[in-house]
Amino acid sequence: MKVTTNAARLVRQVLAGEIWPPLADRHAYRVGPDGQPFLLPGMGGVTLDVHCGDPATGYASDHLEPGASIRHRDPGANMALQFLTCVGNQVRVVSGPAAGATGHVIGQHAYVLADFADFTDAGTGTGTGTDAAGLTTGDAVTVLAVGQGLALPDHPRVVVKNCDPDLLAAMPGGTRPDGRLEVHVAARVPAEAIGAGAGMASEYANTDLMGAYAGLGADLSLGLEGLRIGDLVALADADHRYGRGYRPGYLTIGVISTGQCMMFGHGPGPSTLLSGPASAFCLVDDLDANLAAWLHPQPAEYAPDQAVVP
Amino acid sequence: MTPAGPGDQAGPLRLVTVNLLGAVVHPALDGSPYRIDRDGRPYVPAGDGGIVLGLELGDSVFALDADHAAPGACLVHPDPAARHALAAYACVGNEVRVRTGAAAGARGVVLGKRGEEGRVIAGFAPADLARLRPGDEVSVRARGQGWRPPGLPPEVAVMSLDPGLVPMLPIGLPAPGASAQTAAVTVSVRVTVPSKLAGNGIGRPAAAWDLDLQLPPPGPGGAGDPALRDIALGDLVAVSDLDARYNMGYRRGWVTVGIVVHGASPLPGHGPGITPLLTGPAAALQVNADAAGHVGLTATALRLQ
Repeated sequence: MKVTTNAARLVRQVLAGEIWPPLADRHAYRVGPDGQPFLLPGMGGVTLDVHCGDPATGYASDHLEPGASIRHRDPGANMALQFLTCVGNQVRVVSGPAAGATGHVIGQHAYVLADFADFTDAGTGTGTGTDAAGLTTGDAVTVLAVGQGLALPDHPRVVVKNCDPDLLAAMPGGTRPDGRLEVHVAARVPAEAIGAGAGMASEYANTDLMGAYAGLGADLSLGLEGLRIGDLVALADADHRYGRGYRPGYLTIGVISTGQCMMFGHGPGPSTLLSGPASAFCLVDDLDANLAAWLHPQPAEYAPDQAVVP
Repeated sequence: MTPAGPGDQAGPLRLVTVNLLGAVVHPALDGSPYRIDRDGRPYVPAGDGGIVLGLELGDSVFALDADHAAPGACLVHPDPAARHALAAYACVGNEVRVRTGAAAGARGVVLGKRGEEGRVIAGFAPADLARLRPGDEVSVRARGQGWRPPGLPPEVAVMSLDPGLVPMLPIGLPAPGASAQTAAVTVSVRVTVPSKLAGNGIGRPAAAWDLDLQLPPPGPGGAGDPALRDIALGDLVAVSDLDARYNMGYRRGWVTVGIVVHGASPLPGHGPGITPLLTGPAAALQVNADAAGHVGLTATALRLQ
């Protein structure tokens, strides 16, 4: 994105986390839109099958989190990890058989979510070397956090959230002659779709989108079943500058970081990247507006040997 | 509120009544006194939980510069699981009785509930409320979950509603044995709001959470839709295209009716909150919005004066 930023003034911090297990309780089942009980994987741990560019829906899954789900064991340190980590930040595995594997943050979902370019096909076993398919619960990772505080001096009405400066630089668009910020998006989302996550901080978790329950009733659909993991989307009438709320005339740009949900009122979720008055933006509909185009292959500056050197 | 009667049944099953223990909760803040409002301004949240004096059923949800203020006292249980049970089983209209402290013996009524960790909102006569203190124990006579009035259309769900409260609310239940054409529930509400205004609470279990409506305070000079501006505590309000049978979520053609249980909030994604009571397809749950004439739940009807 061709836009002036304060990226040179941002600090980079080395943060630690570990791959956190899926969590359940002894009652096992949760409840779907029509009261159907379900027990489905997808949240927590390492999910192998789904990556940026893949469909977000259409899986036997709930709260599908692509790749690795990461937390810190200490509650205060965990909130810092969740708040300071930005989409596009580098993640490096530092323990276990996949040590050395390097991936990128694709979003937040009460876990930091990291996708890796070098996952082998699902079901091929434990993986070897830097193959991220060898990741599992408890493996330690290092996150190179940079991006909170990123600002666009030529667009003072637009607030940037959770966005690595290198990701912003890799995105198409930028400052237009008319002064607006051009942003490419793969989908536009109506205000009716905003589900769980409304009212929460925009630096934590994400905003579930309803109306994307592939295979369920037509009366539940808002036409969002075609979303893909990593898609940039525009949320209509959403103001995420200081939290997440409905505000007519505002616009929020997010990246779809989670997928299929069976739980009602939930669904594929965008992590917030940009928010401001709609008049400050010029949206370009572009099906290629997806993290897969910008994070994989890895940019040269993300070479593991250079990444964590202070 | 009333002894079990012949209609006080869950289909063919009789309701059970459970005495629950709650304690009046103290407001709680984390290390910072500030929250950030929808315009990015820090504010100190007053009125979010605990005992709020001077706010009554019938007052506007915008009457006070407060955050989620409820008309009465919020009750919790110190054990997290028992606290969720208190919030899940308590029903609007359940009688409560203060057991300890200066207000011991005072009678109150459950007005609603709030989500997250779970809170029950209990209303009292103003003189009794003023004698309450955080930590006072309150017994809740919980009854209503599982209730299905005879004749209720099968696609309509009722929740968190004490059967004895129905005569005090503008809810018309179909007569048992009514034909399919006439077997609809009719409800008078202050206003119907579109589902895109549904904020915090969406995606959460309706029987144990409230749903915040993203209504900012009226602008200077009372700007904005008068019907939205005049919503009062205790009003019934409908939300279109919202299914609240289990978790709350978007479903085209449905409607959910709730009772307004707390006032506005400066937080983005928050606002006046309803405790859902009825949900169903719009054809079976017929809502009549009466912005000027609507009368919801009142302190007079509850004998809380």
